Amino acid sequence: MSDWYMNEGRDNDVVLSTKACIVRNIKGYNFMPRLDDKDCQSLLETVDNVIDKSVYDGGDATTFDKMTVVRLTRLQILGREATQMTNPERKAFYYNEDASLSVAVGSGEHLTVKAMAPGHDISVYKKVEKAATELESKLDIAFSENYGFLTSNVRLAGTGLKILYTVSLPAITKTEGGIAALTQRVGQYEWSIYPFSERGEIADSDVYIISSVNTQGVTEDEVLRRGEMLISDVIKAERACREEIATKKKDQSEDIYGRSYGTLRYAGMISRSEALQALSWIRLFRDYDDSGEIDVSCNALNKLTMDILWEPAPPTRKSGQSVSSMRARANLIRKILKGDK
Amino acid sequence: MRCERCGKELTNRIIKINGVTFCEDCARLMGYDRFLRDPSDIMGNPFAPLDQIASSLMQMSELDFGNSTLTCPKCGMTLREFENEGRVGCIECYNTFNDNIVREMFKQQGNSEYAGRLPGQEADTDIKTSEVSRIKKIPRPRIEAVKSEALEDKGPATEEKVQDKEIKTGKGGLTVDQLKKADLGMLSDDDLAEGIKVAADAEEYKLASRLRDELKGRKEGEGNV
Repeated sequence: MSDWYMNEGRDNDVVLSTKACIVRNIKGYNFMPRLDDKDCQSLLETVDNVIDKSVYDGGDATTFDKMTVVRLTRLQILGREATQMTNPERKAFYYNEDASLSVAVGSGEHLTVKAMAPGHDISVYKKVEKAATELESKLDIAFSENYGFLTSNVRLAGTGLKILYTVSLPAITKTEGGIAALTQRVGQYEWSIYPFSERGEIADSDVYIISSVNTQGVTEDEVLRRGEMLISDVIKAERACREEIATKKKDQSEDIYGRSYGTLRYAGMISRSEALQALSWIRLFRDYDDSGEIDVSCNALNKLTMDILWEPAPPTRKSGQSVSSMRARANLIRKILKGDK
Repeated sequence: MRCERCGKELTNRIIKINGVTFCEDCARLMGYDRFLRDPSDIMGNPFAPLDQIASSLMQMSELDFGNSTLTCPKCGMTLREFENEGRVGCIECYNTFNDNIVREMFKQQGNSEYAGRLPGQEADTDIKTSEVSRIKKIPRPRIEAVKSEALEDKGPATEEKVQDKEIKTGKGGLTVDQLKKADLGMLSDDDLAEGIKVAADAEEYKLASRLRDELKGRKEGEGNV
């Protein structure tokens, strides 16, 4: 089975992926920041005993070799931050065949259950809920009638649920005041929007994360409904802005679009930000190009964008700009674009 | 009223620290015994040394602002650590730092009442991914293509129809629909002038004014050069 993000998703011209994430803690153990190594081992064993091995692969993080870490990072099970794999003896990661469903143990909270789908697909909630309820029925979960599910991060206490849409918004970003207006709109739904970047990095793409905020005072249904209304607005707004730019600034847009494709298709070395900018222009104009000379599917654009965004972080940020990194990136892009034609 | 730690019924003395109610025994066990000292122990004694009074006043000030010394009896996390990190160490911390946690939740979410599902139960939702209609790809209207389409040889049987269409759409063969979709920048001055007539004949005044503005803009632009 191919990895989850290789599949075609709905509204994938704007939405790269939809994720639902549920965090839980187990009674009888301190939360992760205060959990000693002995208890942590006991926690890992407790969870390992209830994990359905017919569904999940993986396990103890100490058993992961370098290639597995790179693969799990690209599949967005591990974060890009180097700290994700510090103290691997205190962590475990389980994932299903296409890695669309995963359970992380010891990453922030005792359990982080995550479901992911390409494009705009809220069915991820049902998938993550099913996995979470299974674990809840087998484990003694920390729950209070007043606060709901208890977590070490008090901002997650309550439903412990986060819905995240990863979106590429080249046209709204290029529209004056576009992101400010969008941020205001997102705030009206009591959600948040922030650019894709890891700690200490400057956001260098038009990719944003739109995330739910509330875990108290709202039902899961309410969170999902608001999210669906919001993401529909965002998709419509981005498409409208693309049409505006592509028709009013047609010559300029078409020129940059062609140049961007040329750069990606034939560059021998390319930096992360240059590649992301070029992908962003192709995404913006591809629906308005009727020359038929360039044919890149949204799926290929999304795969490339996610591959570049989730490149495992090098030991130092600067080495991401090394000749070898830039050459490897350019080779990957050329290979995918060549295969896509 | 009951002690929020051991559940014992409170009788004589109620100790409330940071909004959490404790019995005397629990308060002592949790290291809050300094707050249990009766002020009359000192005030009732006219010969109490000044340093003892000062020390008691300091302890009282800790009680007033003294959240920084509040410590979770189970995991040892202090309130200061919680305030700095935004994380608690264990379930008991939710009792120990109750007020501060509620305040934090209010600050972040405007609410601290749980409304979600219970453990092991499914949420009551049947939400489906909403449909967002996609804007159709707009083909570039090429003037040559438009003309050739209108004049395309469809054989003798259709020749009359082609001629009819030309009459309705003007010499250049531009229809109102094609004009609406066209990138005006791609049309020649003659096409624009012709298009104004076609649009006006079809009572498409908005379109006619757009074409007129485009033509006018070009003429003004030429004047500026």
